Amino acid sequence: MVAFCYLVVSGVHIFLDFPELYWGKVGFRGYDAVFRLSDWGISWDEAGAMGNRRWGRNYHFLFAWISVINGTIYVGWNLWNKYFHKNLFLGRNELNWQSLKTDFVDHVRLRVSKGTSVGRYSGLQKISYLIVIFILSPFMILSGLAQMPAFTAISPELIDLFGGRQTARTLHVICMLWMILFLVVHVVEVFVAGAVNEIRSMITGKYVVPKEDVE
Amino acid sequence: MKNPVSRREFLAGAGAIGSLLLVGCDADAYLPPKVRGGLMGVSDVLTMATQRLMLSGQPLAQEHDVSEITKNFPTWGNTNPRQEDFQRLLSGEFVDWRLPVNGLVNRPISLSLEDLKRLPQRTQITMHICEQGWSAIGQWTGAPLLEVLRAAGGVADDARYVVVDTFDGWYESYDMFDVVHPQTILAYGLNGKDLPLGNGAPVRLRVERACGYKNLKFLKSINVVSSMEGIRGGTGGINSDSNWHWYAGA
Repeated sequence: MVAFCYLVVSGVHIFLDFPELYWGKVGFRGYDAVFRLSDWGISWDEAGAMGNRRWGRNYHFLFAWISVINGTIYVGWNLWNKYFHKNLFLGRNELNWQSLKTDFVDHVRLRVSKGTSVGRYSGLQKISYLIVIFILSPFMILSGLAQMPAFTAISPELIDLFGGRQTARTLHVICMLWMILFLVVHVVEVFVAGAVNEIRSMITGKYVVPKEDVE
Repeated sequence: MKNPVSRREFLAGAGAIGSLLLVGCDADAYLPPKVRGGLMGVSDVLTMATQRLMLSGQPLAQEHDVSEITKNFPTWGNTNPRQEDFQRLLSGEFVDWRLPVNGLVNRPISLSLEDLKRLPQRTQITMHICEQGWSAIGQWTGAPLLEVLRAAGGVADDARYVVVDTFDGWYESYDMFDVVHPQTILAYGLNGKDLPLGNGAPVRLRVERACGYKNLKFLKSINVVSSMEGIRGGTGGINSDSNWHWYAGA
C-alpha cells in the first residue's frame, strides 16, 4: 500500500515533466498526442514546475523493486501454501452469471455480508483480486520495462508486443488508473464492512463476526 | 561511540555484495563507478546488475526500417552552446574542430572531422529514448568508439572508463561494457546529412541501450581513465553528480 502510493505519486512527478501521451513507437513535443495536459488548463511549464522528476525517478525505481520483491514473495508464498486455491480461485458454483449479479448488486448497495458468508471472499471480490494480482500488476511491470532503453536490446519483442514504446507508456498510465479505481473501491468496502475489524484481520488473520449475525 | 559501519553504508554494501555474488568476479560491468548511499544505492545496483546480466551477450539494440525514420528529428535541451570556443568552430563550419583522445591510451591523438570520417563507419536506424518520456527514430552514421580507441593505439590494462566532455560543460563516463558495443558510435551524420546543430554538431555520442542524457551532444574531448575519483563530482557524470542514477539503461 505504501509502495503503491509512492509509485503513483512518483509516477505522476515523472509524467508532469512530460505531460503528453502518444500512441505508437515515437512521440515528442509537437507530435500528435492522444492526451495533452495543456488541453486541461495546465500548461507545459506549470506542469514542469509542479513535478520533481529527479525525486520521482529515484523513488519510482526504488519502490518498483520493493513492490516486485514483495509481490513475488506474496504470490510465491500463497501459491505454495495453496491460499489462492482455497480462497481466491473461484468454485464452480460461483462461476455463474446469477450469483455474480446478486453479488454485484449487493456491492453497489453497500450491503455487507452476514452470517455464514462472513469471512469468505465473494465471487466478485475474488475476480477483482485475481485481476489485480495476475493481470494488472504484471501488466504494470511489463509496460514499465518496455519503456526502458535497455529493453530495445534485451527484448525488442516486448516493446513491439505493446505496439511501441509510446503505446506502452500510455497503457502504463491507463493501467495505473484502473488500479487506483480498484484501490478506491476496495478501501470504501473495507470501511463499509468495519475498518478496525477488517484491517486487524488482514494483518493477524482474526476476524470477529458481529454478534447479531451469528445464527 | 560511533558505529563502525553506518546503516547507509551497510545497505549500499549489501547491494554491492549481492550483485558480486550474482556475477562472480566480473564486477566492473555490474556496478556504477560510485554506488549511492542508502536504499537508493541498492535499487541502482539491482537495476544495473539485472539489466547487464540480461545484456551479457551484448545484443544489438533494435534497428528500424528506413520507413520508420522520424522526419524532423526533434531537438531538445541545449541546441546551440553559447561558449566562445564552440561559436568560433561553428562559424568555421568545424574545419578546425579537433577531438583529443587522451588518458590511458597507448598513443594519444587528436582527430579532425575528416580523420573521424576515414575510420570504419557504421550506420544504424535506432530509437532515441529520452529519460523524460519522448522517443524518436533516427538514422545515425559515425565511427564506433572502439575504432577511435584503436586509432589511439588501444587502451592500457587498467583503463576502465571513457570520459567524454562537451562544449556546453556536460560530461559523462562509459564503462568498457558500453564502450566495446558495436552500436556505440561517435555520430557525425543524421538521416544521411551532416549532424544538425540542434542535434549536437559536429559530433555526438550514440549509446543505444541508454537514455538520452548519456547520448552527449557537441563532443569536445575523450579521456580514458582507471577511476572516476577526483574527476568533478567523482560519481562519473554530470547527472549522477546531482543525484541521478549513473547507469542509464533505466
